[in-house]
Amino acid sequence: MRTVTRSFLRYLYRRRSLSLLQLLGIACGVAAVIGMALSAQSALSSFSQAVEFLRGKSSHTLERLAGPMDEAILQDLVGDPAVASFAPVVERRLKLANGDLVRLLGIDPFLDRAIRPEISRAPFAGRSGGEREDSLAFLTDERAVLLEENLARELGLAKGSMLNTLRGRLKVIGIFSNPSGEPLILMDIAHAQKLLELPGKIDHVDLILTDESGFVSRWQEGYRIQSKRQRQETFGAMVGAFRLNLEALSLMALFVSVFLIYNTAMFAVVSRRRDAGILRSLGASRTEVAMAFLTEIALFGILGGLLGSIFGYLLSLALTEIIGGTISSLYFFLRPTPMAWSWWIPAAGIIVGLGASLLGSLLPLLELTRVDPVLTLRGRSGNRESRRWAWFVALAGVFILVVSIIVLAFFSKQIYVAYIGVFGFLFGLSLLTGVIMVLAEPLLRRLLGGVGKLPGRIAAGNIIQNLGRTGVAVAAFMVALSLSIGLGSMIGSFRESLIWWMGSQLRGDMYISNASDMEVPENFYEEIRSIPGIGGVDTYRKVPVLYRGRTVHVAGIKADVLQRFARFGWVAGGDEHWEAVKKGDVIVSESFARSFAAGPGSEITLEGSAGPVRLRIEGVFYDYSTEHGLIMMDRETYIGLYGDRTINSIAVFINPVEPRRKQILDDVRGRALSRGLPAFTREQFHSNILEVFDSTFAVTRSMRVIAIVIAFFGITGALMTLFIERQRDFGILRALGFSTGQVAGMTLLEAIGMGIVSFVLSSGVGTLLAILLIRVINLRSFNWTIFYYPDWQPYAITAATALAASVGAALYPIWKVHRTYPQMQIREE
Amino acid sequence: MSRMKTAGIVAFIITLVMFICLPAFAADDWKAAIGQRTWSFPRDHGAHPEFRTEWWYFTGNLRDGAGNRYGYQLTFFRQGVRLKPADPKNPWSLRDLYPAHFAVTDVSNDKFHFAEQITRSGPGLSGAAADGMNVWNLGWSAKMKGDTLHLQAAHEGMALSLVLKPRKPLILQGATGLSRKGPGHGQASYYYSFTDLATRGTIRTADSQMPVAVEGVSWFDQEFGSNVLSKDQVGWDWFSIHLSDGRDLMLFFLRKKDGTVEKESSGTLVESDGKSRHLKRSEINAEVLGTWKSPKSSGTYPNRWRVRIPAAGLDLELAPLVAAQELITAGSTGVTYWEGAVGGKGTSAGRQVTCEGYVEMTGYAGSLGGLF
Repeated sequence: MRTVTRSFLRYLYRRRSLSLLQLLGIACGVAAVIGMALSAQSALSSFSQAVEFLRGKSSHTLERLAGPMDEAILQDLVGDPAVASFAPVVERRLKLANGDLVRLLGIDPFLDRAIRPEISRAPFAGRSGGEREDSLAFLTDERAVLLEENLARELGLAKGSMLNTLRGRLKVIGIFSNPSGEPLILMDIAHAQKLLELPGKIDHVDLILTDESGFVSRWQEGYRIQSKRQRQETFGAMVGAFRLNLEALSLMALFVSVFLIYNTAMFAVVSRRRDAGILRSLGASRTEVAMAFLTEIALFGILGGLLGSIFGYLLSLALTEIIGGTISSLYFFLRPTPMAWSWWIPAAGIIVGLGASLLGSLLPLLELTRVDPVLTLRGRSGNRESRRWAWFVALAGVFILVVSIIVLAFFSKQIYVAYIGVFGFLFGLSLLTGVIMVLAEPLLRRLLGGVGKLPGRIAAGNIIQNLGRTGVAVAAFMVALSLSIGLGSMIGSFRESLIWWMGSQLRGDMYISNASDMEVPENFYEEIRSIPGIGGVDTYRKVPVLYRGRTVHVAGIKADVLQRFARFGWVAGGDEHWEAVKKGDVIVSESFARSFAAGPGSEITLEGSAGPVRLRIEGVFYDYSTEHGLIMMDRETYIGLYGDRTINSIAVFINPVEPRRKQILDDVRGRALSRGLPAFTREQFHSNILEVFDSTFAVTRSMRVIAIVIAFFGITGALMTLFIERQRDFGILRALGFSTGQVAGMTLLEAIGMGIVSFVLSSGVGTLLAILLIRVINLRSFNWTIFYYPDWQPYAITAATALAASVGAALYPIWKVHRTYPQMQIREE
Repeated sequence: MSRMKTAGIVAFIITLVMFICLPAFAADDWKAAIGQRTWSFPRDHGAHPEFRTEWWYFTGNLRDGAGNRYGYQLTFFRQGVRLKPADPKNPWSLRDLYPAHFAVTDVSNDKFHFAEQITRSGPGLSGAAADGMNVWNLGWSAKMKGDTLHLQAAHEGMALSLVLKPRKPLILQGATGLSRKGPGHGQASYYYSFTDLATRGTIRTADSQMPVAVEGVSWFDQEFGSNVLSKDQVGWDWFSIHLSDGRDLMLFFLRKKDGTVEKESSGTLVESDGKSRHLKRSEINAEVLGTWKSPKSSGTYPNRWRVRIPAAGLDLELAPLVAAQELITAGSTGVTYWEGAVGGKGTSAGRQVTCEGYVEMTGYAGSLGGLF
């Protein structure tokens, strides 16, 4: 047995370029899985760490249902027997001069001692007696701030520098480190209130409670009390959809990778049938041959897994940054720290590499051990046999397809099940590849024959003749290309839907302030409203609230203004809904309606500052601003509900007939900037939203690239195996008088033929996949409808990729033909 | 106790530095204790914000129904940072810092626990009224209602709620309330005391689950001034002793770097009828008979004394009721000191007496020079 195994390993060395390619194929597959999984995990754990760091040791958080609270309540907290410690916090985002939004924490370092020891120490750290002047500067200098060290480094600021913000220059009196990596600006509570124009107000109080139920019974009315556990749940819900997206991408990476490794392993077995036959006829037993194969495959799996885990780790460093960017634009400015290297990473890599390899080699091995040694001596399996095999595989594919469709149709409420359905669907289709190729043979023959005459027709014949291998290669390539088309079309449709939505809902001529953590003073709103020539000003206020235990958003808007100027996309009905909204009804987003099965006419109960309030749903509108559900109501209704007059942003509408449109907008912009408020034209506002959107899908886009790279290795490996194995055929061709150029052309056409078949198949499968992603996955994870917009771009990109990959894959064999063809003989006979 | 320590280390720099840096804030603008003061009570029980440093200091020796002995200390400090806050409309705008210390000694269990806080006034979180004694620091407070004083404090397991009633009129210390602390101009404080306060109420130690009813005797000092200690003074030893014959004795010794005792150190003897007399340094003879080394701060403190005041016929031997009564207040004042219940016996005007009271010793674990 050792002899047999050794003969196999020697073969690997002899075919080292092919072996290397196989190894790289496995490594790439493993790298994609490891890279995606690691970066998703590190980004999400950095996120929760940052949230936890901000809340410190507090057991609970007290806040108003909406808006800031009066600081006078602190006196009541002092007297409450359940409160062991409390710390008031002013927490807002501050826009820096460079446009970045950074969290600003206004704290009292004394009260903060018990809650956030690290932060409360920062204002005085490193201030020895030698620096007496500024040792209390944090408390006495009203422009004094402390900067988180990474932020300071990025901005090139040090102690003593000035920090330019939209609210003026701030003095950096020190730098502190934040273990979560989140950029932070720390300010004394008194100075933060002044800077943010929040006199007497605090945003929340972090508490250490000794008696939760007692406290809750006293503070229930008008406040939201969240325990640490509830906070984590809220956090989980907030990033839930995003986490799902990342997990799906990891799964997708796993799917493509396993498919590729499976292919690679299958090749290894199929291409060695003849060697196995020789060994069998020399007296080696079935077990010996099988063991030799297994050893070879295991070696590939382990080495590839090891290499792949290193690639994957490096990949995760880049992906983590991309995911961090996405989280920053969606939720929370974050600088995730990549996972530290651990020996679990190569362990996981080996498991993936080895598992997928063994899986891939199982069927061919079974077949091989059963087959007569004389038959295997012929090398490749015969044409008829491979056609029969193709039909058999297709039957299995149809079965998987049917099961997947049943799963998708009836069990897709569970998002993970829906994913399994989608993958099954994709896998089932991939199994049909062989049969489709057999059926498409005449077409292919005509197409390639038209381009390359006889060599073209031979190329087409070769593809079908070697269906055992070409079918698998095309299937793998097709799956990767389909993913690329599917993801691309889904993103494109989503983007178009978003553009349509912005055009219907966000029709203001100018938007002032856009971040939910920023505020527009009410008197500024009044000031803008009174400018002649302005048709209307819509105020926007959005707050998260709990509804049936889940976080949703409530938005206060000016119904009369939107009635005149906006053109909402209604799921049912039309602009007549506004009349009821003006009278106190609410409208809800599609995501809300779907999550809570609430439609027009039904009632919802919201916890207001003076107890529960019942509200009637008047209409449902399309919305992509939040997947958690949005309840929109008139500003008057909102104020009545929460007593919160805060405005996050305003939209200015100019009278359509106003001739001085430009001057008025310039005037509004000037007034906004003088108050430190950012102002955007409609176009700028829309493009900002699109920017956020694009950054959200940055990871998905990288995943597309990775899928293509994996596919490239797959198809290259398949082609090379074919060509190397077919040197004998080249000898025959030479004997028949084919020139070097003709053989090279034939090789190229064969590769291109496979590329074309893969692309044509992937166009269909990719489109189906896009529709599944839109109609099933998105609907399930976000509860919103995306409208399918056909777009040629993903197809063009995929076609170009397919062409480039197949030509690239043919280059090495062609070079080899050029070098060795003239000396080739039909050595075998 | 380890929790205290952690919290202390965490915020160590905060306050240590804070106190060190204070003189940087135009100390000259603060009013100094110079010359005779026209006292007016109850107004003078309140805050004197024109002075930089001020404290309301309560100590007491108590017993429960079973005869178990307790000691307590509850101190409210006010430390001025600036005479005027930058933004008077905003209550967070800093003018004063309010540190506070609270300690309970459980003599029968040989236990001592303390807690500390530091706050600023904020929206009514801490402060001291100017028209009478009403000083509070978060949930801890000392309030005068009529002629009784009400103390409240709680921290984790320990708590106290006491009512104090003077049995003797208040005493103006030093020369009609001007207590000299050194030879320098303004190096003095205004200082008065209630030396004999009948005390009743409840106390809960960190180890006992329930509050227990207690009664006993308390001592109250209020003191205010600016830049009281000079740089060559390392600390002080202060005694407040109730004698079983009804006499009360206060002594303080300011220790200098060179090992000598400041000649301005002095004392006051209050007779059982409430009459008091000032004791000059030269009339007092205090001898240290033994020491105790703190395992926490490594400071070595005296822990047995013999005090003789021949002119008053006093000869007393004193010792702590619990050895470890040290406060490491890194999280509030940044000062490490020993303040604890003591007891002893001796002779007073020829008669055998027992005594109990409190002793405070500062500057044994790091100098206090220039701090107050």
